[in-house]
Amino acid sequence: MDVAPIDIASRLDDEHRPVFEGMPRPTRDWSDIPGTRERMAEMRASLPQPVLPANVAIEDVTVPGPAGDPDVPVRLYRPEVLPQPAAALYWIHGGGMVMGNVEMNDPYCANVADKLNVLVASVEYRLAPEDPFPAPLEDCYAGLAWLWRSREEFGLDPERIAVGGASAGGGLAAGVALAARDRGEVSLCYQLLVYPMLDDRNETRSSYAVTDGRTWNRESNDAGWNAYLSGNAGDDGVSPYAAPARATDLAGLPPAYINVGDLDLFVDEDVAYARAMADAGVPVELHVYPGAYHGSNGAVPTSVLSRRWASDELAALGRALAG
Amino acid sequence: MEVTPIDIASRLDDEHLPVFEAVPQLFGDWSDIPTKRGQLDALLEAMPLPDLPEGVTVEDRYAPGPEGDPDVMVRLYRPANLPSPAPAYYYIHGGGMVLGDVAGSDASCANVAAELNVLVASVEYRLAPEHPFPAPLEDCYAGLVWLWRSREELGIDPDRVAIGGGSAGGGLAAGTALAARDRGEVPLCFQLLVFPMLDDRNITRSSHTITDGRTWNREANLAGWDAYLAGNSGGDDVSPYAAPARATDLSGLPPAYINVGDLDLFVDEDVAYARAMADAGVPVELHIYPGAYHASPGFTPNASLSKRWNADEMAALRRALVG
Repeated sequence: MDVAPIDIASRLDDEHRPVFEGMPRPTRDWSDIPGTRERMAEMRASLPQPVLPANVAIEDVTVPGPAGDPDVPVRLYRPEVLPQPAAALYWIHGGGMVMGNVEMNDPYCANVADKLNVLVASVEYRLAPEDPFPAPLEDCYAGLAWLWRSREEFGLDPERIAVGGASAGGGLAAGVALAARDRGEVSLCYQLLVYPMLDDRNETRSSYAVTDGRTWNRESNDAGWNAYLSGNAGDDGVSPYAAPARATDLAGLPPAYINVGDLDLFVDEDVAYARAMADAGVPVELHVYPGAYHGSNGAVPTSVLSRRWASDELAALGRALAG
Repeated sequence: MEVTPIDIASRLDDEHLPVFEAVPQLFGDWSDIPTKRGQLDALLEAMPLPDLPEGVTVEDRYAPGPEGDPDVMVRLYRPANLPSPAPAYYYIHGGGMVLGDVAGSDASCANVAAELNVLVASVEYRLAPEHPFPAPLEDCYAGLVWLWRSREELGIDPDRVAIGGGSAGGGLAAGTALAARDRGEVPLCFQLLVFPMLDDRNITRSSHTITDGRTWNREANLAGWDAYLAGNSGGDDVSPYAAPARATDLSGLPPAYINVGDLDLFVDEDVAYARAMADAGVPVELHIYPGAYHASPGFTPNASLSKRWNADEMAALRRALVG
């Protein structure tokens, strides 16, 4: 596709531009994913460590993995006084299917638990390329199925369990929601899909227009999908559980919220998925924010735009999980 | 296009459903538009209107009309403590290009003036079919030019003049913004496009799926466009000023906010216009609300969904005009 690359920096406001311009280019080396992971971990360790809300207890548990596979770690964030019955968010971290971990989203998950007074469970799924599809998806599903089976132990309201995630985590959340619908075991009330990574084909306009090395871009997305799909990204026969944009039947999915920036590689596939779900009768709220790029809400969390993004997102989840 | 009509009632919440079900099947049979006006005016008059806020002065002024045409009435809404210089919001009412008048939006215009402390100007443009394109558009443009030329007398900040409208008014606002860009006389800072009517071709999926006689539907939309375009809707050389979805160059337009419900005939053309403007480098915020049909925030203003819609819309206009 013949598309002029978006000059992201020229479309950022004064709060976002200096941060974006200060990022290394490229931020990641896709020929060496393990090395990139290590450098990301070092970079995170060098940053000031977030202070988590004191009244949220964090507990790590290990739950049965997919058949024949290892157990799956799940981290629980429980507010001091969890109402009974409680609502829950099952959260899946991002990282392009190849990076990231539960710890990275400690502040996000603890904040949701604290602000909404719900149980948050965050899953440590295996990563590609060492563990390609279906391992990450099935780990996510295994953790969700465990949460569902444990609902009485935790005092969960079976009608108020939502799934959510950002970026690859949003794609995995959408895939898990499809699997949950089809397998009929777990009932979900909501999908919180934050700039979800949904389409391995990389054929949309925006998938061509975002090439800047300082953000998740065409090259990194291509690398992530090929790691996840063992080199088969864009081929025939990719499972909709891997790439929900491939799904031809979206009926019966839980209501969804999708938020994405207009400078995000994923904007076109996210808008398309939102419209396709709505066409299948699923209530979908879609919010496209101008001047936001992939992950800008995390890169500049204190900007006016990022605070609005975060409060809109938390409010959407709050509406979905309200009793 | 073969699509199943959306059963709107089945997708409404308990606050909207009774209101929708009570609406008579008024949106069919457009063979006699003057009769239709009478029926729909009665419907609109039955809509709950907010109280007029205190302290807003209303004044009718007359702008020179398009060349050789009558003067155009512009109604000004001025709050008691209007700052100097003041931001201005140029508002265009809706009604499918064939219905409506300035008086029908008195309350909402006065509310914007009072809540944001800005000058609001609302234009009484001529209606189709008696006055097809370009009369309505050129009336809207003439009123805007008058406002711009009167900016010193009215104490308007030239950097903070926004345009907006709902439904046909949103389409006329988008068309007027295109004309303002091309004619180079009036610089606009923002477009507030509320479920705008943009595309005479009626070829999107949602333009086929909304057929319910209790809301603006395919039949009504075809009649409105045919009246506006003197029978030529969907023809080869419809002007982009008439149908902004036809525009091939959207660069240089002012930033925009588009909000639309997922049960609105216009959702697909509105999403397409939002994405096309963004692809042309225009900052566009897009917000799709599930469970909202065309003008449902007006029919059911006290529903929590409508209150959220209106608050989000007012906040967007506030960011654009007040900061």
